[in-house]
Amino acid sequence: MNLTSTNFYISVEQLNNLAISSIQGLTPALEWDENEHNFAILDCFEQSLRKSRRLLLAIDEQVELLTEEGVILSQHVKPNTRFVAEFEEGPVKKALADLSPLRALLTIASGTMKTGTLILTDDEEKTCARAKLQKLIPANGKAVVLVTPQGLRGYDQALSDLTTYIRTHGGTPLTAGNLYRMIDHSCVNYVSKPAIEIHPEETVFDTATNLIATYLPVVRANEYGVIHDLDTEFLHDYRVSLRKIRSVLSLLKGAYDVNQTLQLKMRFSALMAPTGALRDLDVYLLEQASFYTLVPHTMHAGLDAMFSLIADRRMEEQARLAAHLKTHRYKKEIKALVKLFSKKHKLKPGPNSSRASHDLACELIWKRYRKICRLAATINVATPDEEIHALRIECKKLRYLMEFFGIIFPQELFDSILKSLKQLQDSLGLFNDCSVQQLSLQSFVDGLSDEQHRFIITQSVGSLITILHQRQFAEREKIMNAFAHFSSDRIQRSFRTLCQNKKEL
Amino acid sequence: MQIVACYSNKGGVGKTATTVNLAYAFAASGRNTLLCDLDPQGASGFYFRIKPSQKLTEARFFEDAERFVKSIRGSDYDNLDILPANMNFRDFDIFLSHMKDTRSRLKKALKAVKNDYDVVLLDCPPNISILSENVFRAADAIVIPVIPTTLSQRTFEQLLEFFQQHDLSTKRIHAFFSMVQGAKTLHGEMIVELTRNYPKQIMAAKIPFASEIERMGITRAPVLATTPNSPAGKAYQALFDELIERI
Ligand SMILES: Nc1ncnc2c1ncn2[C@@H]1O[C@H](COP(=O)(O)OP(=O)(O)O)[C@@H](O)[C@H]1O
Ligand SMILES: [Mg+2]
Repeated sequence: MNLTSTNFYISVEQLNNLAISSIQGLTPALEWDENEHNFAILDCFEQSLRKSRRLLLAIDEQVELLTEEGVILSQHVKPNTRFVAEFEEGPVKKALADLSPLRALLTIASGTMKTGTLILTDDEEKTCARAKLQKLIPANGKAVVLVTPQGLRGYDQALSDLTTYIRTHGGTPLTAGNLYRMIDHSCVNYVSKPAIEIHPEETVFDTATNLIATYLPVVRANEYGVIHDLDTEFLHDYRVSLRKIRSVLSLLKGAYDVNQTLQLKMRFSALMAPTGALRDLDVYLLEQASFYTLVPHTMHAGLDAMFSLIADRRMEEQARLAAHLKTHRYKKEIKALVKLFSKKHKLKPGPNSSRASHDLACELIWKRYRKICRLAATINVATPDEEIHALRIECKKLRYLMEFFGIIFPQELFDSILKSLKQLQDSLGLFNDCSVQQLSLQSFVDGLSDEQHRFIITQSVGSLITILHQRQFAEREKIMNAFAHFSSDRIQRSFRTLCQNKKEL
Repeated sequence: MQIVACYSNKGGVGKTATTVNLAYAFAASGRNTLLCDLDPQGASGFYFRIKPSQKLTEARFFEDAERFVKSIRGSDYDNLDILPANMNFRDFDIFLSHMKDTRSRLKKALKAVKNDYDVVLLDCPPNISILSENVFRAADAIVIPVIPTTLSQRTFEQLLEFFQQHDLSTKRIHAFFSMVQGAKTLHGEMIVELTRNYPKQIMAAKIPFASEIERMGITRAPVLATTPNSPAGKAYQALFDELIERI
């Protein structure tokens, strides 16, 4: 039986050099199979697999996962499978359970693959160690060989000699390097929430500009995925980044000249506007499975009819947005904004622009927190939905503020407050989802003209709305509890400490 | 797990050649296989280019299960490991009993390296009379090469008598004709006679006298690995196919 160890990758030249001279008295030889296979390296847009030190290869109709521990798992997969959820049950699917179910597997590189073996033999020509070779020859990029040393029982020394030799002669452990970069130098690393460095002395103007200049590339990075409809997260990240930019403009008041701020807000809102409809439809479809579990079987036919209508509309809406993102007008606008925030000289300083951003942050966070506590104190079972909705918006603003400035606060304290805020937001989010869904389901039904299935759709949606209403009611109590915690003495003290260098607190 | 012993009281009848090829066939069929070279001459190991291990000559190493596991060597083929030669009779006896006992330290040591075996093949040395009985009791199948000559017939019949005297079931005996030379009329006559007398014990597959098998000393690899389509290769494959049908 073969014992697996570390996996490496190495350039073709270096591999050939490896096989030239003897390795600790053993003779190396390279053997290549005749057959060629198709391969593709798969990963999510954020490269979650690479970052968790794994490699997913599609080879013909198989998928092979090299785990961080160096184990190779494999299973059959149907062609054109794009989501892990679509995999048939198997060891690879099981090992990929931690990936976001919303993220599609994208092709990082693809081409042909040759398999082979590096063999070390002794003076009797007995094999003492081997390495499985997979030469990846991408259609675009540099060829690279994956090397998986495989020991033979009783020849531990030879295996360790081989492994050391590979390591010292150009082999990079898969878990240590960036294979994607080796294949394609321009392979970029996408981060949806880039870390932003803010120096304590930095001015509000600089901080605002840095934040926006950092989020704009995130917006741009997601365009391709939205246009090609790779998965729904592209649009989501696209919108979140735009929303953060708008928040910078509205929360960091006075960073820029009042008029310019107003104009910028309008420009970013204009970018946001055409994306809303598609996102709403995405959310419906993502909720699809859960809607089915909420209503009895007899109501499923109505949901079928509704979701098939929604899917049609989504297709239209997606095509519309994709076309919009490809227009000259859109490209010109987004490029102009990128330029504005990277060149900076056309940004006009506002009343707060030269203040230290740390001071402003403390002030804003403290004010916002106090405001939330005040509002929260009035919440009871009878509070209208709109007031809870308003609270949710306040919490969101606080969350953005904290995220923008997180880096300048002491980590531990900050994390504990953020955790409490997140809990509150989760409840508020659920509450809001229920309420928004009820409204939008209602308006969906109202908007049905003489469409077929109108009757059964209305019936099913009616049943769904009733259940969502009950849920929303139940969530209310949780929100009250979460608020009670959030405005407790302990959290209040923490906020005070966090913002303490403002003397007037 | 099954233990398959290749046994004959006589030397030079093709035990080692058979064990080596059967072991290869078992492994190639996907079974995790261990070939134990019990012959002090170490011929099985030789065919797999494995150097006799120093450790193995140390007395009573079987009392130390981990050291036993350490002396196992991977062959060049998937699923096939070799335990090189040089085990004294006492060790051999302990080895057999441990192999059969799922709770033994030996089994645990094998499991610890994720390598319990589906099949263990024993390449027995000739004249292990003192221990024959233990081999016969431990093995699930005893494969016996018989050269179709009068002398071999006598040896084979002696073995059957031994089984009967010791209350051992002859059902586990799987004999076959080895080194068969088609041209020799004596071979033909002996085959007909023995098959008629012992229809239950004698298999249909026959291994011809073949140069490929002699050449194993030079190629140092099983015939099934080097020339699977030669008459000898096909004969070993047929022997394997028939054997797994029977056990
Ligand atoms: N079927 C065969 N045809 C030709 N030569 C054979 C055959 N079987 C074995 N031999 C050769 O005969 C010799 C003894 O065979 P071996 O398998 O070592 O017998 P044993 O293990 O019974 O002593 C070896 O040199 C081997 O190559
Ligand atoms: Mg022998």
